[in-house]
Amino acid sequence: MKLTLLAVLLLAAAIPAARAQGNYEIQVYGAETVAPRSTMVELHSNFTADGQRRTIDGVAPTYHAEHETLEITQGINDWSEVGFYVFTSEQSGLGPQWVGDHIRPRVRVPEKWRWPVGVSLSTEVGYQRALFSPDTWTWEIRPIVDKTAGRWYFAVNSALERTWHGPDVNLGLGFSPAAKISYDFTKRITGGFEYYADYGSITSIATLHNQQQQLFPAIDLNLSPKWEINFGVGIGPTAATDHWIVKGIIGRRFDWGRHNKGQ
Amino acid sequence: MYAEAGKKGAMNKPTVNSLSQPGPCRREFLRRASLAAAAVLAPMPQLLYAQAPSGQADSGQGPKSSDAVGETASPDYRLQIAEIDWELAPRKNVRTTAYNGQIPGTLLRLTEGQPVSIEIVNRLNRPEIVHWHGQWIAPAVDGSMEEGAPMIPPGATTRIAFTPHPSGLHWYHTHAMAHRDLKHGLYSGQFGVLLVDPPSNPARYDQEQFLVLHDWEPYYAASDDGSLMVNYVCGSINGRMLGHDAPIQVREGQQVLFHILNASATQVHKLSLPGHSFQVLALDGRPVPSRARVETIRLGPAERASVLVAMNSPGVWILGETNSAFRSAGMGTVIEYAGRAGKPVWTAPASPHWDYRVFGDAVPVVRKPDLTLPLVFTSRFQGHGALDRWMINGKSYPDTAPILLKEGLRHRLIFDNRSMDDHPVHLHRHSFELVSIRGAVLSGVHKDVVIVEAGTVVEADLVANNPGNTLFHCHQQDHMDSGFMALFQYA
Repeated sequence: MKLTLLAVLLLAAAIPAARAQGNYEIQVYGAETVAPRSTMVELHSNFTADGQRRTIDGVAPTYHAEHETLEITQGINDWSEVGFYVFTSEQSGLGPQWVGDHIRPRVRVPEKWRWPVGVSLSTEVGYQRALFSPDTWTWEIRPIVDKTAGRWYFAVNSALERTWHGPDVNLGLGFSPAAKISYDFTKRITGGFEYYADYGSITSIATLHNQQQQLFPAIDLNLSPKWEINFGVGIGPTAATDHWIVKGIIGRRFDWGRHNKGQ
Repeated sequence: MYAEAGKKGAMNKPTVNSLSQPGPCRREFLRRASLAAAAVLAPMPQLLYAQAPSGQADSGQGPKSSDAVGETASPDYRLQIAEIDWELAPRKNVRTTAYNGQIPGTLLRLTEGQPVSIEIVNRLNRPEIVHWHGQWIAPAVDGSMEEGAPMIPPGATTRIAFTPHPSGLHWYHTHAMAHRDLKHGLYSGQFGVLLVDPPSNPARYDQEQFLVLHDWEPYYAASDDGSLMVNYVCGSINGRMLGHDAPIQVREGQQVLFHILNASATQVHKLSLPGHSFQVLALDGRPVPSRARVETIRLGPAERASVLVAMNSPGVWILGETNSAFRSAGMGTVIEYAGRAGKPVWTAPASPHWDYRVFGDAVPVVRKPDLTLPLVFTSRFQGHGALDRWMINGKSYPDTAPILLKEGLRHRLIFDNRSMDDHPVHLHRHSFELVSIRGAVLSGVHKDVVIVEAGTVVEADLVANNPGNTLFHCHQQDHMDSGFMALFQYA
């Protein structure tokens, strides 16, 4: 199994990657995957309080846009899962709109390997309408490393992105890192910061003015093993970033079989 | 060793470090030889398990005068603690520590009331200690440093002597702390069966088998409730994974007595044998008043069951964990009828339910306690990346005050589990009688380990008649390492 998983990791690492999902899914991934015989259903709700106000190159503005994303993730085994996304947008003048769909397989180093940090690798491919993103077909690969130490949690996502169809098709690999640090104030309340960025092409890093930089003070509520709740407010200080975004994630896990815990 | 009764010759397959094979002393060898001869030659059904008078509280007889560290010319048994490489299955070895170079350790078959001396050699580079689980013996030899028994220093040899009491299926195991090192304590292979035969026993059986469950290659994983928990890569029965041990050979019409011990460090296990039922004769070595038949045996860590199975469904069957994840990870063994062959068959039990009450008196006897001792189990969150801290009555060991017992009185222990985990709680040097579970009364079931399920209350009566320090703790290694212990003392 180790050899199979290593082969999958290496194969995935060799594949070029593409552009991320803007502010449709704002989340720093942990290394853990959904358990086998379980399905995670999440709703990502993001409201851009202060963003791009004009239509640019046929792409709708983000100002006061409400983005609702449905994410369904199915656990395959103890080291892999597959996620599926439905992106939607609602804003003045356009009404509710379907934006696009993505699929995201992910593999991880199983806990039983007893690595000192959690490691997983996701790759995401999908389509979004040109009205909402100039690049319509994109591909992303995202190495994920995380670590829980007592009450502290750290995660780093070093996403590489590649456009398959759109104006950025010749841009090469883009670098969009994300990171999270949080602290367990109680068993149920965890607070911390999430950081998201887009530095542009790895061969030609954009100027700070043109980079996307966002910092979200965020809280996670661990009210029940079956529920996932995350809330944050993002600040974007650069010109290329939506300046204020309010984000929320609510997720519910459904188990279809018995698991080790509690039998 | 176990092959003497079970004809499971493959028990001896695993490779062991030659340093860890001291060989049994002469008396043990003769005992083994005579038992093997009895199993082969005796045409008559053998006898075991006298039925205790129903409803009686534990007599809890105090230690005999010989319960002390003693020196005799040569010990009756010798245990050597050393590292070994153990083959759970082909190409599946674990490096662990064990007794006498085998897993489980040497079967110690003693006679109730007949003094025994045991020499223990610690070949490890760390202190160790051996606990005689289920025996009503003196604190000095019980094998718990919290009670005052000394640790065995690295490289040292010690000798203990005690008078086995009570009879039944018990065990011996390390009582060392593991903390965050998942190679120590009961995560290792330091466990073995201690069977104490009663002076007389009327139950009949044709064949006797020992099944010792253990989980291997532990690792920390996030639990559903947000705290760290211990998971395992694989499991075994008698040190071999399912499909990699010789089948247990039976004949149609036989009555087979299974002595089952869950020697897992933390994991509750449920076992079933398709097409058959288990008639429960004894729990934790103590005969039960109602020998109920069940489809599934549930055993928490350290719990034991002696069960009779009528072999009346010819075939080749898996006796294994009802949870497929555990079973596929090795927790099972094969039962093969004479003249039958083929792939072992597994079917899930129709009734996986387990309830201690069905083994109690048909009409529960209600007694009034002299004293009540509430014991409230809670935990303190230490972070999603840390083990919870466990507490009894708000205190975490060793920052606790002793709980006082009054000799001769009946104490009602109220196990009030306000946590989200089940706890197999164990009382050293005594047993207790279950008197209520979730408010439903019962009597006649005497145990030294009971699973107190999350959010429930279990009441048990303890007759305090074995003076001396007495340790009470959760038998999950990670819980006892994190403070889930209390010391009982006689006032």
